[in-house]
Amino acid sequence: MTANDRAILDVAEMSPKIAKWSRTFDILIIIIAAFLVWSVSHIHFLLLAGDWDFFIDWKDRQYWVLITPVVTVMMAAAFQSIFWTLFRLPVGATASLLLLLVGAWIVRYHAWHGLDYFPLSLVVPATGLTGALVLDAVLVLTRSWVVTGVFGGMLYGLLFFPSNWIYLAPYFQPVQHMGGLSSVADLIGYTFPRSGTPEYIRIIERGTLRSFEDSAEWVSAFFSGFVCIFMYMIWWKIGNWACSPKYLPTSLRFRELYGATGKAGEESGKENLKTSAA
Amino acid sequence: MIGLFRRITLIGLTGIGLLLVMSPRPAAAHGERATEPYIRTRTVQWYDVTWSTDALKVNEAVTVKGKFHLLEDWPNAVSKPELVFLSNGSPGAVLTRVESYIDGVPAQQSIRGLVIGRDYEFKLVMKGRVPGHWHLHPVLNIHGAGAVVGPGKWLTVSGSEADFKQPVTTLQGKKIDDLQTFGVARVQEWQLGFGFIAVAWLLWWLRRPLIISRWLALQKGREDLLVTRTDDKVAAGLLVLVLVVVIVGFTRTTDAFPNVVPLQSGSLYAPPLPKPKEGVTVKLRRAEYDVPGRSMRMSIEMTNNLNRPVSVGEFTTANLRFINKKSPAAVAAVDPSYPKELIATNGLVVDRNEPLAPGETRLVKLEATDAAWDVERLVSFLSNVDSRTGGLLFFYDAKGNRYISDVYGPIIPVFKKTI
Repeated sequence: MTANDRAILDVAEMSPKIAKWSRTFDILIIIIAAFLVWSVSHIHFLLLAGDWDFFIDWKDRQYWVLITPVVTVMMAAAFQSIFWTLFRLPVGATASLLLLLVGAWIVRYHAWHGLDYFPLSLVVPATGLTGALVLDAVLVLTRSWVVTGVFGGMLYGLLFFPSNWIYLAPYFQPVQHMGGLSSVADLIGYTFPRSGTPEYIRIIERGTLRSFEDSAEWVSAFFSGFVCIFMYMIWWKIGNWACSPKYLPTSLRFRELYGATGKAGEESGKENLKTSAA
Repeated sequence: MIGLFRRITLIGLTGIGLLLVMSPRPAAAHGERATEPYIRTRTVQWYDVTWSTDALKVNEAVTVKGKFHLLEDWPNAVSKPELVFLSNGSPGAVLTRVESYIDGVPAQQSIRGLVIGRDYEFKLVMKGRVPGHWHLHPVLNIHGAGAVVGPGKWLTVSGSEADFKQPVTTLQGKKIDDLQTFGVARVQEWQLGFGFIAVAWLLWWLRRPLIISRWLALQKGREDLLVTRTDDKVAAGLLVLVLVVVIVGFTRTTDAFPNVVPLQSGSLYAPPLPKPKEGVTVKLRRAEYDVPGRSMRMSIEMTNNLNRPVSVGEFTTANLRFINKKSPAAVAAVDPSYPKELIATNGLVVDRNEPLAPGETRLVKLEATDAAWDVERLVSFLSNVDSRTGGLLFFYDAKGNRYISDVYGPIIPVFKKTI
């Protein structure tokens, strides 16, 4: 235990025995919270950005680069807001993206590779983990969710493409197949058929972003960063609203145990106090 | 009370036992009978479909070839075939796709502008990958309408899955040993690296007193204890580390792979097969489906526009084939390896079998009776929003030449014979 840890426990007026029980409580909450963050981040992602991340032949220069960060920053911001507002823990974004990545690999390996016979090369996931780390780090350095939204949000969107390109670039080498030009990713998607996913269903490479000297991915990345700024702010507020103690139906005894004797705690339990008095 | 408890326990244990005993079984079908009858009978009519083999080893190929006709009476509720993709129906990627063509045009991507009323030829080359007994169908996916599944045949793939390889050489001459595993290790290594940094960051915070103690310290205004100057330095280090890793990694990757191509998303045009100049004109006067008798009866007026007599040989719809057993040419045209379950046992009964003379117009009654109507789930005429039916009639001349005509019109469900 560091001097800083001891100082925190002293401020919290915790005896060594209470501190030990508090640590047990920490561990239990971490485990429960991890599953909560994991499932919410995963379901949210599946519903809003699914196909662009599911398959290698959906990872295009435009929509994949735009949509994936915009969707993942939502839960990153919400959980960052919850952990920061309540406990000053700058881990929400990293936890959300790390657990999402772990969940994605479990599903890709066991369900898609194991049950549907898809090779892993077809279903490798991308990740916004580098952006999440930056988001948490900027929050620590600035202590401000607005500044984090502006700079961290932009960096989050911008970093997604280059950080994933490091390992996905080999899939975009050119090959010739049936007399036409194809990328390795296209060929993988064609070779290992998905009966319910015809080629035309891919929403890729539409519009005129390609006119920017073949730099469509960077145009998308900057636009993604721009949208991420606002998404971050909206979802920070949603997270902030969701974690407000006034929505927790706590009794007086629980609040005493919890130590919620401050202003927030008093206000949070007004309704319950009235109920108890009645 | 104890007896009741015992009974509930016994029932519960029996239920759990049954669940444990019932082992999971592989799906035998994949939705080929799920599409509504008015789509299956009035859009894509598959015919002349053949499979080059029904037994192959891992890495060996099977070729599925045939034709499909886009019926003139295309339902209003179904999107027109302006953008289609030729695919295959099989349970997952147990077979790999090697090549596919519509009228000789490569169909790796979607094909646009198919013409209703015309015929197309297709070819699918698949390769065995996972040993097992698999059902293989050709499938035409229509944008906005979904999949119209062609006839399916059971194939047996033998050998070992471990032997399957899909090598490819890039345009720069780089050899890829196996598309199944290509690039996966690189992805895993980098993501594992990012994951380690993330775990280190989480542990940096989670090793400390957390929930209650931090909440209380925050309530008492001691934020300075919760996020310290050391934390600032660690966060700054993390920020720099991530940016350096991404920038260096990206730069080195673009140097290593200077020539990359975006995903290909264009569509191709495949012209239809030439339209026959002559044939038999068919008008459906009345059609009824005999619900208890499982029989479709049609009264049709046919006019021979050819200069030779022809006879009715076959009626086909929704992959079911009703062969007129009194037509030797029609019987001979059935490939013995064609899936037996798709050939109606009772065949097609024609009330007047004598050849239709050139220029002659005749009203005939056709009767297609088989349990397959039920088995293939083609009898929802009572509940259909578009109660019409359709199919193809095959006529044969004395030399065995075949002439194909559309037949379509309203259908009425009946419970006794009216025509």
